[in-house]
Amino acid sequence: MCPNNRSEFQAMGAQVTESEPLISMTGIVKRFGTVVALRGVDFELMPGEVHGLLGQNGAGKTTLIKVLAGIEAADAGEFRIAGERVHLSGVADSKARGISVVHQSLSLVPTLTVADNIFLGSESVRAGHLLDRRRMEVRAAEVLEHYGIPLRPSQPVSTLTFAYRQLLEIAKALAADSRVLILDEPTSSLTKAEEPILFGAVREVSRRGIGVIYVSHRLSEIMELTDRVTVFRDGANVGSFGTSQTSIPELVESIVGSRLDKLDTNRAGSRTEGDPKPEVLSLRDVHSPGVHGACLAVAAGDVVGLVGTTGSGRTEILETIFGARPIRRGFVTYRGESFAPRSIHDAIAKGIKLVPEDRHRWGLVLGHSIERNIAMANLPRWRRWRFLFRGDESRSGAEGVRQRLKIKAPSIDVRVEDLSGGNQQKVVIGKWLDGGTELLLLDEPTAGVDVGARADIYRIILQLADEGKAVVVSSSDYDELLQLCSSFVFIADGRVSSPIDRADVVDERDLHRRLEEARKEFSR
Amino acid sequence: MTAQIARVDLPTEGTVRRWIRETDQPLFLYVSFAVLISAFSLATPIFLTASNLLNIANQTALVTIMAMGVAFVIITAEIDLSVGSTLALSGVCAALFMRDAINNWLLAAIVAIAVGAMVGAVNGVLAVRIRIPSFLVTLGTLSMARGITLLVTGTSPVLVNNETFWSVFAEGTFIGIAAPILWTVLVVAIAWAVLHYGIFGRQLYATGGNIDAARFSGINTRRVKTVAFIVSGALAGLAGTIVAARGHAIRPDVGAGVELDVIAAVILGGVSLFGGKGKIYGVILGSLIIGILNNGLVLLGVDPSIQLTIKGFLIVVAVAFAKR
Repeated sequence: MCPNNRSEFQAMGAQVTESEPLISMTGIVKRFGTVVALRGVDFELMPGEVHGLLGQNGAGKTTLIKVLAGIEAADAGEFRIAGERVHLSGVADSKARGISVVHQSLSLVPTLTVADNIFLGSESVRAGHLLDRRRMEVRAAEVLEHYGIPLRPSQPVSTLTFAYRQLLEIAKALAADSRVLILDEPTSSLTKAEEPILFGAVREVSRRGIGVIYVSHRLSEIMELTDRVTVFRDGANVGSFGTSQTSIPELVESIVGSRLDKLDTNRAGSRTEGDPKPEVLSLRDVHSPGVHGACLAVAAGDVVGLVGTTGSGRTEILETIFGARPIRRGFVTYRGESFAPRSIHDAIAKGIKLVPEDRHRWGLVLGHSIERNIAMANLPRWRRWRFLFRGDESRSGAEGVRQRLKIKAPSIDVRVEDLSGGNQQKVVIGKWLDGGTELLLLDEPTAGVDVGARADIYRIILQLADEGKAVVVSSSDYDELLQLCSSFVFIADGRVSSPIDRADVVDERDLHRRLEEARKEFSR
Repeated sequence: MTAQIARVDLPTEGTVRRWIRETDQPLFLYVSFAVLISAFSLATPIFLTASNLLNIANQTALVTIMAMGVAFVIITAEIDLSVGSTLALSGVCAALFMRDAINNWLLAAIVAIAVGAMVGAVNGVLAVRIRIPSFLVTLGTLSMARGITLLVTGTSPVLVNNETFWSVFAEGTFIGIAAPILWTVLVVAIAWAVLHYGIFGRQLYATGGNIDAARFSGINTRRVKTVAFIVSGALAGLAGTIVAARGHAIRPDVGAGVELDVIAAVILGGVSLFGGKGKIYGVILGSLIIGILNNGLVLLGVDPSIQLTIKGFLIVVAVAFAKR
């Protein structure tokens, strides 16, 4: 079915390449403050093409989609829709020009029928205000049939499963004369059995000349469904490939890249020798919301990497150790004693600290100064006579953190909202630099962080490990994990594989392969 | 690779502008303060006399005391609308305690403050534990506290017959300054110390600034919010004590609508309704603006209905200027 479909596309290919691209972007730049999200990106979408977008979190995929959808305006570059140079004024403008982002059935009204939903907001009206139901059903049937979407107009939406609701979203966009469909992680909420329904519809739609942009982390899906793939890394387009001319390993390599400023990755080997380090944390069959039987052991001086996709349960495991998720079952030993954190406060008091994934939401008070943010996590240290706050000590403490982490700001009184992403992340890490940290948990420690600040952050993490702290790093950046970690565990569906040593892992591809193996193991 | 450069304003701006920015206060606050004083001074010669200024301070005492507590609550990004009713309930409880139980000024005051703190605790528990928006919770307790006040008094005033009570909370003076002003100074001093030099102040600001980040930094944000509500209630209780002492009696309908003055003072004073921002001296200035406005409008003989309209308008303008 799949190869057949591809050859059919290639048969159309001659005529397609002659026609104009639906979307053509050259040199698109988008900045958020000092962070450059897109640095001169080229992108092209042909009619009838399924174009995969790949890249890590923060690589620029989402920003590109926002520019396409009119949510964000590009700072520089040329953006053409069907050959015409445009400056989108907003989402409505983007829609009017035929670009639709297909949402995950959030815009459907379950109590109405398929036809009602397709024409929601643009209903056919007869004699003033009466709905022309028949006409709507006929037109809906036309759209569904034309694009080969297996839905009946009179079906109530409440009877549809998730996959069919997504098809309805697609139909809705097509009925509004969309020429470009953007699907952002469309399979993330589908079951394995439902996926072919979506794939079939995407193929049918593209066969009829619609251009589809398909964003996904799942490489097998990209290989199966798309005609071309564009890979993003650090805000740049690092390559567009014909899907039939590339392979999963090649894609993985361009997704993770290879950075020039490699740290000493041999440290793992030396680390495993010598005396056994005292165990700091061990989880045995721990269950909590999102975690289904996690086992993990971390010794002093270890940097354990959690390898897994987004949504695999990495964050949930860290939050469970940090006391933010109640442990329902299982055993936790911390520094030789049985331990079940009752609250975050409890975990912090015992020296367990978390650098959360989303620093704006969980890490910082953006409107407050660097000093205030660092002090917020160290209040017990600066307590005097029970109630008073030792301001001078807090200031000198924050100043020390600023220098040690090389936070680029003229003083500790600068508001963190005025800092770049990298410096903000350093403040979050700086909150836990002193004050009895024994176990440091880092969730995506360098998401949206520039290369320079990234090296500073790696340096400090390795320093802390050398001082004998236990460190756990969760990251979707394989290169980062390889640079930092002394051992790895693989995570899928809230479960954890047995650990493997850094010395046994060859490269990013090897890490990816082992993750896929672990996932297969778990799903069995 | 390229070094990151922090986006920081270089200190090229004038000292006045920088001071205004660094004080975190809206310029609006100082301007309106200055405009009010000059306008009323020109309009009526009595305004700028020492006795009238002390009079303003005395009349503003209640608002200032309650504004300190409400500022704590608003800094945590919650709101307390119930202070007017809490004031009445606590004052009435103190008066009933002296009339029907023990006629002791100190115990009566403790009763009033404890009753206020209890109302605050109810607000805190409902808003923080059961997660009802504090706007609705305190709107409910506003009504409940008023209802209970009317119930226990049978809607008639309660007389207070204790000279020490009158003297300590209203009529006494110390170096020529009236007792309510002294109480205000004490409350302000403690609030200042707590907010700007205390651990709790840091917890309040962090909780209001970003509750998730505060929680992930080990701050017990529920407790912080609950304590803020209790402080607000207790200070309304102290205000109720002063009201009962001033009139030698307390009417059950006293303090209705005073939450408007209090919240206006806090917001005018530059405390952000979105939480995490505000200074005590701003709140003092805000309270004085409300006091001066009330006093000046009375001196000018402005109709009470117009006074209400002006105050309401002022709150809206203040919020418009204060929003970021």
